[in-house]
Amino acid sequence: MQGDTNMGNKLEGKVACITGGTRSIGRAMAEAFLAEGASVVVNGRDPVKGQQCLDEMGAGDRADFFAGDASKQEAVEGLIDFTIERYGKLDICCLNSGGVAMTAPVAQMTDEEWKLEIDWNLNHVFWGMRRALNHMIPRESGRIIVTSSVEGKLGKPGIPGYATTKHAVNGLVKSAAMEVGTLGITVNAVLPGIIETDIVRATGPDSAIAMGLEGYDQLIDLFAQESAIKRPNKVEEVAAVAVMLASDAARNMTGCLFPVDGGTMPY
Amino acid sequence: MGVLDGRVACVTGGTRGIGLAIAKAFLDEGAKVVINGRDPAKAAASIAALNAGDNVHFIAGDVKQRGDCEAIVNGTVEHFGRIDILVANAGGGSNHAPVAQLTDESMQDALVWNFWHTFWTMRCALNHMIPQGWGRIMSVSSVEGKVGKPGIATYVASKHAINGLTKSAAREVGTLGITVNALCPGAIETDVMMAEGPGAAESMGLTYQGLLDMFAQESAIKRLNEAEDVAMVAVLLASDAGAGITGSMISIDGGTSPY
Repeated sequence: MQGDTNMGNKLEGKVACITGGTRSIGRAMAEAFLAEGASVVVNGRDPVKGQQCLDEMGAGDRADFFAGDASKQEAVEGLIDFTIERYGKLDICCLNSGGVAMTAPVAQMTDEEWKLEIDWNLNHVFWGMRRALNHMIPRESGRIIVTSSVEGKLGKPGIPGYATTKHAVNGLVKSAAMEVGTLGITVNAVLPGIIETDIVRATGPDSAIAMGLEGYDQLIDLFAQESAIKRPNKVEEVAAVAVMLASDAARNMTGCLFPVDGGTMPY
Repeated sequence: MGVLDGRVACVTGGTRGIGLAIAKAFLDEGAKVVINGRDPAKAAASIAALNAGDNVHFIAGDVKQRGDCEAIVNGTVEHFGRIDILVANAGGGSNHAPVAQLTDESMQDALVWNFWHTFWTMRCALNHMIPQGWGRIMSVSSVEGKVGKPGIATYVASKHAINGLTKSAAREVGTLGITVNALCPGAIETDVMMAEGPGAAESMGLTYQGLLDMFAQESAIKRLNEAEDVAMVAVLLASDAGAGITGSMISIDGGTSPY
């Protein structure tokens, strides 16, 4: 009954790039895309981790790494240009990097921290989407998949930058979907609930304190208790949705904010 | 090898349109499937087209009757030994009119067909799924479960009600390995649409073609959806990978209701 390890052909011949693709959700997407026959360029900041990721995925010529900080315009645009140069085209653009750059109530937020969050979670998606669309529109074919969050619909104290930018990318997705809906291009967001990714493990303790919680465990527990399934989500659950949205069969699904949050936000 | 190997599914209104597409997709992924409909003669043609041998079974029944709804679900368990996946798919509307002129009979018919049928089959299925600790329930709602249109209040109200039922049930069984989700398709030119669409259009002051054009123009893709779009999402939600998605109202509407 387990289909996760099946090799498929839903993405045979497709080329994908994934910001923040060496770990966690992005890595799960990369592995799922590779298993379905796509070629994938993963992006991350650290070339050592990037090489390690490629070694572990063992996909040979069908995988490559592009080093760059997704909160920087030249890195995001560079990833897309590199992918097109390396594999001749870009079919699937996953704008997945992001996280809680800073934790502070609005009253104590600094401009510098705010700008960092906007660049990482929002501008990165805009820069990547714009660059990808300019490649996809003439080809009248493409899939853009943005990793938003349950916090793209809800809010929590202490992480206003995260909630704000995730709300913003949802608006960007809806507008872009309407613009290119007749051009064979879909633009969708996936909205995961809490997942114990490396980034959540790294930033979770600070987020917990900013939210007035005791620590990391209480943070995970808070999110789990808000859901119907009373547990965090898993990266594979997000990757399965990404594969579906990336496939040819999903040509009629666009502008969708697809929840993968165990019932936390049922709308 | 499919993502639904070993699973048993039941699809109400499964002999044509969206239900038939879902049944076919489930069979392709290795499930055994009960399809329900009112007319055994129509079902025979559908079963022949599915060409799935013993893996597909037909149970005749009118989903507007509680006894039939329960017999469809219980009959699935009797025939295939269990029920893992329920798709409460049958539905539609009739005798459409603006609210000021709407008859009780028209409203009752839509509520029974869409909402009560979903409730009756869901309740019965949950009583099988809760003890086994695994289940997938999908209601086929509609874009009209999220938005409203003039002249089709029966359909809109009953689909909104399905979404509320889905959210509550999802909360109740979230820790028991059971997910409950609503699929919200945009307009699809199914047999039911071709039969009921002209009446709905008239109630909205449109021609049938005008109705279809209006739905298409509201979307981002400027065309209607297809039954296979819904089936694709149903497979994902029914699979093991769908375990983390519940209580959700999935838009399959070409961008019409992007929330």
